[in-house]
Formats: sequence, structure tokens, C-alpha cells
Amino acid sequence: MRAQLMWRTLPSLVLGLLFLSTPVMGSCLDKDQELLRQLQKQADIMQRTSMLLNPYIQSQGLDKDGLKEHCRERPGTFPSKEALQRLSRQELLRALNTMLDHVLHRLMALQQDIPKAQDLETVNRAKQNIRGFKNNIHCMAQLLPGSSERTEPPPIGPGTSPSPTPTPDTFQRRLEGCRFLHGYHRFMHSVGQVFREWAESPSRSRRHSPRRGLWKGARRVPLSRGNKRLLLRGQLPR
Amino acid sequence: GQDPLFIFPKDKLVEEGSNVTICYVSKSHQNNISCYLEGVRMQGEQLDPNVSVFNLNHVAFIRETGTNIYCKPGQGDGIKGTVLFVSKVLQEPKDFSCETQDFMTLNCTWDPGSDTGLLKQLSQSYTLFESFSGKKTLCKPKSWCLWQVAPESQDMYNFTLTAENYLRKRSVHLLFNLTHRVHPMAPFNILFKNVSATSATMTWKVHSIGKYYTLLCQVELYGEGKVTQHNVSVKVDGAHLFSGLEPDTEYLAQVRCANGDYFWKWSEWTHQNFTTAEAAPSEAPDVWRNVKTVQGRCVVTLFWKPLSKPQAHGKILFYNIVIEYLDRTSVSEVLSIPAPASGTELPLNQCSSQIRITASNSVGTSPASVLVVSREPGNEEVEEERVKGTEDGFPLSWNPQPRHVTGYLVEWCEQPRDPPCDLQWKNLGPNVTSTVVSSDAFRPGVRYNFRIYGISTERVPYLLARKTGYSQELAPSDNPQVVMTNLTSHSFTLSWKNYSTESQTSFIQGYHVYLKSKAGRCHSGSEKAVLSDDVVCCKYKIDNPEQKTFVVENLQPESFYEFLVTPYTSVGEGPHDAFAKVTTPDEYSPTLIRILLPTVFCILLIMITCYLKSQWMKEKCYPDIPDPYKSSVLSLIKSKENPHLTIMNIKDCVPDSIEVLNKQEGTRKSLTETESTKPTYLYLLPTEKRYSSPGPCICFENFTYNQAASDSASCGHVPVPPKAPPSQLGLLTSPENLLKALEKNYMNSLGEIPAGETSLNYVSQLASPMSGDMSNLPTNPPEPALCSEYKMQMAIPLGLASPPSSGSSSLSSITLLDEGEHY
Repeated sequence: MRAQLMWRTLPSLVLGLLFLSTPVMGSCLDKDQELLRQLQKQADIMQRTSMLLNPYIQSQGLDKDGLKEHCRERPGTFPSKEALQRLSRQELLRALNTMLDHVLHRLMALQQDIPKAQDLETVNRAKQNIRGFKNNIHCMAQLLPGSSERTEPPPIGPGTSPSPTPTPDTFQRRLEGCRFLHGYHRFMHSVGQVFREWAESPSRSRRHSPRRGLWKGARRVPLSRGNKRLLLRGQLPR
Repeated sequence: GQDPLFIFPKDKLVEEGSNVTICYVSKSHQNNISCYLEGVRMQGEQLDPNVSVFNLNHVAFIRETGTNIYCKPGQGDGIKGTVLFVSKVLQEPKDFSCETQDFMTLNCTWDPGSDTGLLKQLSQSYTLFESFSGKKTLCKPKSWCLWQVAPESQDMYNFTLTAENYLRKRSVHLLFNLTHRVHPMAPFNILFKNVSATSATMTWKVHSIGKYYTLLCQVELYGEGKVTQHNVSVKVDGAHLFSGLEPDTEYLAQVRCANGDYFWKWSEWTHQNFTTAEAAPSEAPDVWRNVKTVQGRCVVTLFWKPLSKPQAHGKILFYNIVIEYLDRTSVSEVLSIPAPASGTELPLNQCSSQIRITASNSVGTSPASVLVVSREPGNEEVEEERVKGTEDGFPLSWNPQPRHVTGYLVEWCEQPRDPPCDLQWKNLGPNVTSTVVSSDAFRPGVRYNFRIYGISTERVPYLLARKTGYSQELAPSDNPQVVMTNLTSHSFTLSWKNYSTESQTSFIQGYHVYLKSKAGRCHSGSEKAVLSDDVVCCKYKIDNPEQKTFVVENLQPESFYEFLVTPYTSVGEGPHDAFAKVTTPDEYSPTLIRILLPTVFCILLIMITCYLKSQWMKEKCYPDIPDPYKSSVLSLIKSKENPHLTIMNIKDCVPDSIEVLNKQEGTRKSLTETESTKPTYLYLLPTEKRYSSPGPCICFENFTYNQAASDSASCGHVPVPPKAPPSQLGLLTSPENLLKALEKNYMNSLGEIPAGETSLNYVSQLASPMSGDMSNLPTNPPEPALCSEYKMQMAIPLGLASPPSSGSSSLSSITLLDEGEHY
């Protein structure tokens, strides 16, 4: 138990240090490569299931044969890696920002089903990591060409993502939460890989429109009206 | 709905131990639906093709998030499930109690038991209801609650504590009188006043519980490993006098209070440390001494043990030593040794003295320890006895003394092998005649010596007994270093005189001498012994540990032996390793050696002598034949450019013969007649100018033969007095002398020439100035100074000297040397 706690705490500590290297919100690093490296490291840490999924499965009693097999990502909840690769940098950052808002919203909903303070602390740490990651996305967006006019960080508060599909009972809600977290970790793994490709080819340009390629071949996550407006109005850097 | 499978009830909350029925309804006629409870398949009852039920009895609490129950069809992933929330049973609050510290609030506490909180249900809540006042309060904490005491004088309280959750409610009741539930707060502001060496006053304050109440306070004092307890009644301030304290000692005092009228609970302790003041040391230091004589002067080494804390009554600063000489001829001496010294060495002016030692701290001085050093050395001839140590120590006993003693003292060294030996002593009373000396420093295999003294009424110690022993004897770990001597063909001697029996690991009882031989026979005095390696050898036993030599006899010549000397003790003997090897010589070798060695030595000595004296020997035995042509005389002749002078050929001489001429006038006359030759002769020998007068003889000086003679510039070996007439010049002044000299020279030539007589030259050739006519001989005047001597060899001109007669008949001659012996 102690080792498990340490396993959970250590990556968060590393993440915290990474965030410390980034100035407070609104003040960004002006070195895009360094910022990109930070984003890679953050994504690598956030993809670990020990950060969120495993504690959730254990606290909810889903670690049983015949049950944990159903804790798999529903297709379409998060964009695939291929979809992310087809996006331009500005589009990817904007999509990331939107998806992480959605994750934050779901995590707050999941907290209602977690009675133990220890498990709640795990979720809170994950939320902090996501907020830090979003901040670095904002900074990265500022460094991209043609986006200097937008310096404000993306909003991180709740309410910008659609509410999850209402589930009538605790069991179904529990199972959906598990699937969502599984998808979240997979998504962050893909994000890390895309960032790594960025570092290998720094001058890569846009290939496809995000709206055409982001959820290609998958069920699109319904966006809230506000989010749609966010994308259409171009509040995030293009 | 659209779902093909439904499970009921959804999110059911039940208490632990309840019976629950789970039911599923399938839209299609699927028979292969399986249901699980926490991963374990449940066996249910199928009510119809679409409905099945599962009866769960005595459900158990698993986790706060509930128990997962789920069903899934055999095909597809349409899993459906429900969560059964099983709550722990709400327990009745235990140990419900209320008390007050200040008559203003009541603090009620209880043990809530297990928490029944779930994801679906909050934890149980607690409410407190007082029936007399009718008041009720919700307690937010789960284990305690504060109740405000009514301002009016309500003494009795009847509380009901109710625990409640979603499923159940539990209550407990408590009725009490408020004055009986007073739990005072801990005293405060502890102070110590008038702290002396043996007493101190402690004061403290208490929180008031009303002017009509009296507090009972309990005071405890910890110090010197003891606890004392006192009860004090207190209204507002408390005070207590501690007496009988030890000086310079730290104490811990603590106090707690309770309601003196109706005891309910003690308050918490409040404690404080204090230290008493110092006092003068109460005991004299324990002192002992060691007396030795250095260059005729008594030197006393004093040892003392530091005073214990209860004795020192403070920090000892220094030790005072007063030496009083008993015969009053010397002035007393006073010394001060700073602490923490534990001894000092004092050279005494006189042995008979009394030494007083005191210890001082900042307050005063201790009583004195008195030692008397006597001129008499004491009874040093006490025989040493052995004592056997035990696990408890060394038991020592001695005979009671007829004369009055003030006590006994046992001294020993705890480190006898390592000087300084760490002298220890133990004082005993006058009626004690035995004791056990124990120490953690005692080690097995170390010999400890104990000396027991009686202390007379004059404080003079005298030796009563000496004991020595081991706390545990160990077998010897080493064997003596043995030296073998006197090796003969039949015996040899072994010696190990350097082996100390005193410093061994046990009492040496004797020695075993093992002898290995090929013959394997053991002679009388030995016995066969089988060693650990199954080697048979002869063993000689020496019972006296001080006998450190042994002669091994009855050996065979030219035989190989191995021997070992090992000590034996009561716990075993030394190791059987490192046998020394020896081979006896043959019987005749010693005799031969006794003869051959001196012979070889003598030969060597002669050879060395000959080598060192080879030049001398050569000169004596084989001198170089002088070459006249190389003589210095020749140069003299040449320098005078006298063509008539030449070197006489040796062939022309008559060697090895000497003619002794009789003293006849004719001889003198002949000499006179040859006066014309005198100048030449004298000219040739310038050193003989003083003999310008006609000389009686012709000398041939041979510098090669006689360096001394040449140095003296005289042909005569005996210095001629100046008064002597020229006729008497020469070596020999008379024929007798000449004969004597010749005889001596002859004898020397046959044997060794005495060193002191080397001045007597060998005269081998004589050129007679006279004719060889024997008839003339008697006519020569009897000139006693006439002599003949072989001087520098040279040819005499014919005009000066007649050639020698070829025949011996012309002269009566004495042949001294053979031709072959002529050098």
C-alpha cells in the first residue's frame, strides 16, 4: 500500500517540478523547443495508468475477472493518434485544449463517486496536472507563427465541455468512468507521440483541417455549444 | 427501453448481515446469462425464461463504494450490473461520560465504534439531549461534544446520546451530579524556593473551581532512584517543603490535583526539575598506596577512588595531601592535586611518614584518609598460596589476626600483563576473614596475584597473605623455546631457562619431553606415548616446573631424532607441533675434531706468519748476492778517476775463508811496509779519514750485508772509543774477539741469527795485507788490534796487497763456511 502510494505520488512530484519550470499562467517560456520537451514529458507522465485509472479501478471494485475486461475505451471518446497527426500544430493544440477541458469536467463528476480521501487526492493531483499541461499548451500556441495576438491562456474551468451521457445507476456510471479514464491515458500517450514527431520535424505544416480529420472514422464527441463557438471563433491559436 | 438486460434493485442500501434478493430480466430468451458478485459467479433461480433471482444471505461489508453485482450474456458485451451498498451495523456509543473543569462547560466523550459511512450513506450522526433542561445539541465530532452548563445552579444532569444513520438509531443515557464530575486542570507556575543542599520548597498554582471547593494535590519527588509522594490540600496556591534531600542532586518534582470533596479524576501532571546545592564531601576518599625504594629513597605512589556522587556532595575540585614525617626531623609537606586525578607519586624524605588525603569541593573538605608508610618493608616472606577462581570471582580467606586490626585490605592488579597494572583494592572490616573478589576485568588464562594486608590501629598495613590464581585456567598455547647443547653420539641436553612459569595461562605442573626416533624404543625413565597423529614416541616427564634442563640419553650414534618440550598443567599440555630435529654424530668424530682442529690451526698460523714475514725470511735465508759492479763504491772510485782502482772480481777472491793472523811483529811490519797503500785505502773509505794513520787492517765494507755498519761509517761493529789508537780501530780489538765473533757468526750462519746480534757481520772474505808467507807470521808483532774484516768488496791494487795465496798451506786458516754456504 505504501509502495503503491509512492508510485502514485512520484510522477506527480515530477510533474510538479516540470510545472515549476514554467512560470505562472500568462508568463511563458519563449523557447519553443524547451517548451515542447516539457509537453512531451508531461504527456509521458500523464499517460501512465497508475496516475488515475488504476486507483480508480481499485477503489470502485472493478479489479475483478470478467469486469475489468469491460474497462476499455469506447471508440470515439478521444481522437486517435492518426487523427492527431493529421492536424496542424495550431489545430492540435486547440483540440488538446478542448479535450482536456472535457477530461477535467468528467473528473469532477467522478469525484462524487469516490468516498475515500486518499482516492480523492489522486484525482485532485491529476486535475492539477491537466491544468498545468493546458497552460503549456497555451504558451506553445503563443510561440507558433501567426498567433501572437492571442496570449491569454485557455480557460480551464468547468462547464466548457459537454456533460457525460447521464447514466441511471452507480454501476453503469462507474463502468463509464473507468472506460473514460482508459481512453484518457491512451489519448495522452498519442499526444506524447505526436509531440515527439514535432520535435523530430520542427517545420511541419498543416495537412488537414481539424474538423475534417480529427475524428475521422470515429464517433465524434459531441461538443457543447460553447466549445463549438470556441472553435469557430478561433479563440485558440490557429 | 433499448437495453436487453435489466438488474434490480439498483443501488440498494442494506445493513451488514441482511438477506438480499437480486433479480434480472432479459428481453430476449437468452439462457446463457451469468451473474457475478465481486467476480464470483452466483447461482440463481430462474423464475421464467426471462427472469432469474439470486438470494444473497448475510451480505458482508466489502468497501465503502459498495459491492458490485453484474450479469452478462454469453455473447456480446452487454454487461449490466448494480451496486449493493452494505453498511456496517451502527454500534451503541461506548464509555459515554461527561465532566467539567471549570463549572462552565461539560465535556462529554464517548467511543463511537465503527463508521457506517458509505458512498450512498453519510456517517452516523450524534445528538445530545438533556432531559432536565430539555435542551438538545447536534454533535459534529463523532466522539465528543461540549455542553454549556446552565448559569443557574443545576447540579443534576440526565443526558441521552443518540447515534443515528440511514438505517438505525442507538442511544445511551447518563445521569450525574455536576460537582461529582470535576476534573481540574493541571496546576501551573511551579517554583522552587529556598533551595539548599538538603531541602527545597515547591510552590504552584491551580485553576480555581470555585471558592467553596478544596483541591487535593499530589506531589511526587523523583531523585536518586527513589520516589516520594505527598498529598497537599490547596485552595488557590499550593506549597510543599522537600527535606532530607541529597546535596548536589537533580530532582524531578511533579504535582497534580483533584476535587478534594468528591474525587473524580486527577488532573494532568505538571512537573519541574530542580537541583540541590552542594555540600562538603561526607566521606574520606578511599586511598591505597604502593611503596618502592628508588636510589635509597622511599617513593610512595598513592591511588584513590573518586568519591561517589552521594559522597562527593558536589564536584570535587582537588585533593589535598599532607605528609607528616613521623620522626619529626622533616617539615610536613602539603600538596594539592587537581581533580579528576586518581593518584600521584610522592618521593618521601623519610620512609616513616603519615599521609593524610582529603577531597575538596567548592563548599568544603572531606574527612581525611590516613595512611602510614613504615620503614619496615613488611612481611614480604609470606608464602604464596594458590587460589582457584570461580564464575563469581576469587574466594579469598585468611586467618584472623591475634593483634588488633582496624580492618583488612585486599589488593590486586586487574591488568597484570600490561603496566601500569591498574591496581585495585578492597577494604574490609576487622571481623572479616574472607571475601570474594570479582571484576568484569578478570579474563581466563590470566594470572592474578592478590595480597591481603591487615591494617593496624596505627594505620600501618602489614602483609598477611599472598594468593595467586586464575579465574579460569587455559591449556598452554605455546611451548618453551628449547636450546639444545652438548650433542654427543649418545646424548644431548635440552634447556629452556627463559621460559617463565609465572606468565602462563595456567599453573605449570611440569614438562613433557617427547622424543621421536626410528628405533621406537624407549629407555628407562620414559614411556611410550601416542600423539594425536598416531605417531608413537617416548615421553619423559619432568615433575618440577622449575627444572628447565633435561639430558636425553641412551641415544644411538648417527641417528635421527625429533624432540619436543611442552609444559603440562591441570587443564592440559601445550601444542604438539614443531618438533625439533637432531642427528647424533658418530663416536669418533669428536676425537678427530679435537686433533684435527688444532693441527689445522697451527698450520694455518705458520703459513700466515711465513707469508707476512716472507721478505724477512728471504733476507735471512736467501739474501741477494751483492753485485760489486753496482756498488756505490764503484762510483766513488770513478769519481776519483783512479785508473788503478777497479772492482775485485769475486773469482779472484778466496771465498769462505778467513785467515786469522797471529800477532806477530812481521805483520805489523808488513803493514808498515805497505804504507804506500794507505792513502789509497783511506781514500776509498772517506768515512775513515780519522784513520789516516797506517791502519792495521783492510776492511771491505759490504753495505749490502750490514746496513748498520755502513751507517756507522765504521768497519768495526763496536764503536771504537776516540782514545783508541788507530791500530786498534776495527771491529775486533783482539784475536780473541775476532775468534769469538767469527765463531758466533759461524754459529749464526748455521742457525738463526739472533736479532740483537745482527750487528755482528758475516766476514767472509779477508784481503790480507800481508804476504801469505807463513813464515812471516810469527815475525809479525803481536798486534792485538790487528783485525781483518770483510768490508766493501773491491779489488786491491797489486801494489797495495799481495794476492792471496792459493794454497792453504801459506796460512793457517780456519774455514768457516763452505763455498756453497757463502752468500
